[in-house]
Amino acid sequence: MTNQPIRILLAKVGLDGHDRGVKVLARTFREAGFEVIYTGLWQTCESTMYAAMQEDVDIVGVSLLSAAHMTVMPEMIRLRTELHIEHIPILLGGIVPVEDHPKMKDIGVAAIFNPGSSTADIIKTINELATRPQPADVKTAIADYQARKDIGLAQLLTSLQQGQSLNGWTPPKGNATIVGVTGAPGVGKSSFIGKLSTELRSRNLRVAVVAVDPTSPITGGALLGDRLRMMSGKPDEGLFVRSLASGTVQGGLGPNLADTVKLLDGYGFDVIFIETVGAGQSDVAIRELVDHVFLLVMPESGDAIQFSKAGIMEIATHYILNKADLAGADRTEAQLLGVLGDTKPIWRVSTISGQGLPDVAQWLESQRKTA
Amino acid sequence: MSTRPNIGQPHATESLDDDKPFVGPEDIRNFDPARSLAEPGQFPYTRGIHRTMYQKRLWTMRQFAGFGSAAETNQRFKYLLEHGQTGLSTAFDLPTLMGRDADDPLSLGEVGRCGVAISSLDDMRRLFDDINLADVSTSMTINAPAAILLAFYICVAEEQGHTPDQLRGTLQNDILKEFHAQNEYVYPPHPSVKLVIDTIEYCTQHMPQWNTVSVSGYHIREAGATAAEELAFTLADGMEYVKYSIERGLDVDAFSPRLSFFFDVHNDFFEEIAKFRAARRIWTHAMRDRFNAKNERSWLLRTHAQTAGVTLTEQQPMNNVVRVAYQALAAVLGGVQSLHTNSMDETLALPSEQAVKVALRTQQILAHETNVTQTVDPLAGSYFVEKLTNEIEAKANAIIDQIDAMGGVVPAIDRGYFRRTIADSAVQSNKSLESGESKIVGVTDYREENEKRTIPILQISQDTEDLQVARLKKLKSERDSARHKSALEALRQSAANNENVMPALINAAKANATVGEMVDTLANVFGRYDGGPEW
Repeated sequence: MTNQPIRILLAKVGLDGHDRGVKVLARTFREAGFEVIYTGLWQTCESTMYAAMQEDVDIVGVSLLSAAHMTVMPEMIRLRTELHIEHIPILLGGIVPVEDHPKMKDIGVAAIFNPGSSTADIIKTINELATRPQPADVKTAIADYQARKDIGLAQLLTSLQQGQSLNGWTPPKGNATIVGVTGAPGVGKSSFIGKLSTELRSRNLRVAVVAVDPTSPITGGALLGDRLRMMSGKPDEGLFVRSLASGTVQGGLGPNLADTVKLLDGYGFDVIFIETVGAGQSDVAIRELVDHVFLLVMPESGDAIQFSKAGIMEIATHYILNKADLAGADRTEAQLLGVLGDTKPIWRVSTISGQGLPDVAQWLESQRKTA
Repeated sequence: MSTRPNIGQPHATESLDDDKPFVGPEDIRNFDPARSLAEPGQFPYTRGIHRTMYQKRLWTMRQFAGFGSAAETNQRFKYLLEHGQTGLSTAFDLPTLMGRDADDPLSLGEVGRCGVAISSLDDMRRLFDDINLADVSTSMTINAPAAILLAFYICVAEEQGHTPDQLRGTLQNDILKEFHAQNEYVYPPHPSVKLVIDTIEYCTQHMPQWNTVSVSGYHIREAGATAAEELAFTLADGMEYVKYSIERGLDVDAFSPRLSFFFDVHNDFFEEIAKFRAARRIWTHAMRDRFNAKNERSWLLRTHAQTAGVTLTEQQPMNNVVRVAYQALAAVLGGVQSLHTNSMDETLALPSEQAVKVALRTQQILAHETNVTQTVDPLAGSYFVEKLTNEIEAKANAIIDQIDAMGGVVPAIDRGYFRRTIADSAVQSNKSLESGESKIVGVTDYREENEKRTIPILQISQDTEDLQVARLKKLKSERDSARHKSALEALRQSAANNENVMPALINAAKANATVGEMVDTLANVFGRYDGGPEW
């Protein structure tokens, strides 16, 4: 067993929006040193279990307060078998009458936590349950990868994250266009990648996303929340999202990011996005790994000036003026032009109205490398 | 069980910065009763909006209910009306609240579960079958699709021969708190608020007896906010609606008297009482001084309250009856206009009939046996309550200033301010529980091992969903498709041209467009919101 943090996926399924409990747990787990992937509201059983597979998590926690557990949980368990991830235990939290607990246990739910459960008990249970066999069977994973089974890709990514060798095997060279996406927190990087990916999928391009979020230097835990902007509720085999914690590596890019990108490239994706935490260091480091760097700014944020000072403007190859429907967009564009001259393209987009996204998608399509 | 509890250090009320064992005149040194309190029914209304308060008229005991199909809820409504109730309070199911039809894939398993399923004018007609809409007042707890449900209601009334100005009732229609807390939004904040202002404008012109928005702090508090945050966020939301309505060109005194509020009543007894007193004072000043309202009725903060669902425990559920009773007393001492008391079994399931009855009886005992109704604002002049009122008012005003500095509520939503603040407070209160600083009887202390459930819970039948989906399919296949298509196109154009969409919604309702279709049509113009920054 390596000394890796436990990776847990927390999911809310269905239309219910009561997310106080799941959000308190997400933060508590981060403080306990876990890597927490929260997939946000309005997910389906399918989108949740696909996410669990792609993220190769150690455990899944489902929050249900709408009394839908009798329909939802059997479907979760069925999908877990279908996706060959039976090794991932599933926890259930929320309003579940005690009469239903035996039924839930019978179908394979590992543990049930009702309101009033102490987080210490929940963490203890997770520590007991999250005991994946280590090291992962690299040979099988490589075979799955070569057979284009996402689970192989997911497990090899984990191996790289854990610093394991792939037994001398190297992935084939692919033809992906690799794009780094950076910008200040709150500028909408994840939503931009999510909406742009949908646009690219409609053009039949296969897309992979690596989203890097910071690791807490104190607890070693991380809250990986980017994925929730990229989930549509419907799983899509041509869209692979992997959330990574930056770890303690200098530059904040996460360990083995270069090998991670090679692995995705070799799998046959057309476009690979790497979203970084938007701190100066990592932005400069990312330039080495990618074909293009998109820098996102929003109106009235003053980002252009700050980035200019930090030297980040230079590493960007393209500028995305997000939330371009907000007041002040014209002024910010003028500001950008002032800093840049007109050497680099500026795209005005809105992830809410969809404005400008087809232009970006079309450009990326035109960049396709021939095989 | 231990015989002598270790009470530990009693923790200070969250809104107070100190925890002195008692409070005296030096703590309210600048307190001027004439200016800060006046008499009940007088500016600044700290002591209440009516001079006689509950002596002349009790608060309204309004229990919120609804489940299953429109026909089932119609039966329940008629039963309530036959037993003397004059107001109906409608709970909708999750698909309806989210603007989705019963046959939408995301509605699976949710149809008719937590409220009544309404997908079309046909369902609304069934819901109010044989109920004269000119005789009743109807409250509808609906937000993102509120304008659509209002359109259905207007159409049903018209079929009964009533004009909109005869209708009385309330729409919750408070979309801002959905972005902060409850998450039942569809469109981005800006167009969402525009829709609320459309209903305010329409009602101001055509439905003078209709309460347009019930500005709600309940969900904000339940999601984890402190009392001061609940107060500040709710009042800031109210001011945002006023601001946008004035920008629309409406006279502040024409629409403001029809805005009302809805707060939570939590466990910290005196803090809750102070919260209601401070709420009235802040709102009054804002309406008079910030928005220049001249009509006294524009200055009054009328409020509904509900006991705090989040304080109920699954363990030893009978204890919840006691919690609810204390909270109800705080609401009444705080001078609320109407009250919903929660049922003891609400952490387990939808309330059973027996549990609902005990909840209602709790209010009746309070009203008729305790004699708390004999005088208005009995805690006025208490050093502690006045100090607490002043402090929570100051804290809330500071938060409102912060929101103003961000440019108002909508820009603050874009920055994730509300969600982050509420989540921080939720984490904080969880820590305080786990550290033993605060206690929950039966959960953190006085636990009973191997507890057996002692109260029965309500079971909901699965048939409603199939029937509702079948009915909807039939409606879609039998309606006049040319008329339906052109009505939706007219709605799209109306939204795209930035017109008030109410007339186009009424027209689409009559053409048998469904809730889901109208929401999709508007979303094609307005976009769909993905929640904004989360952490």
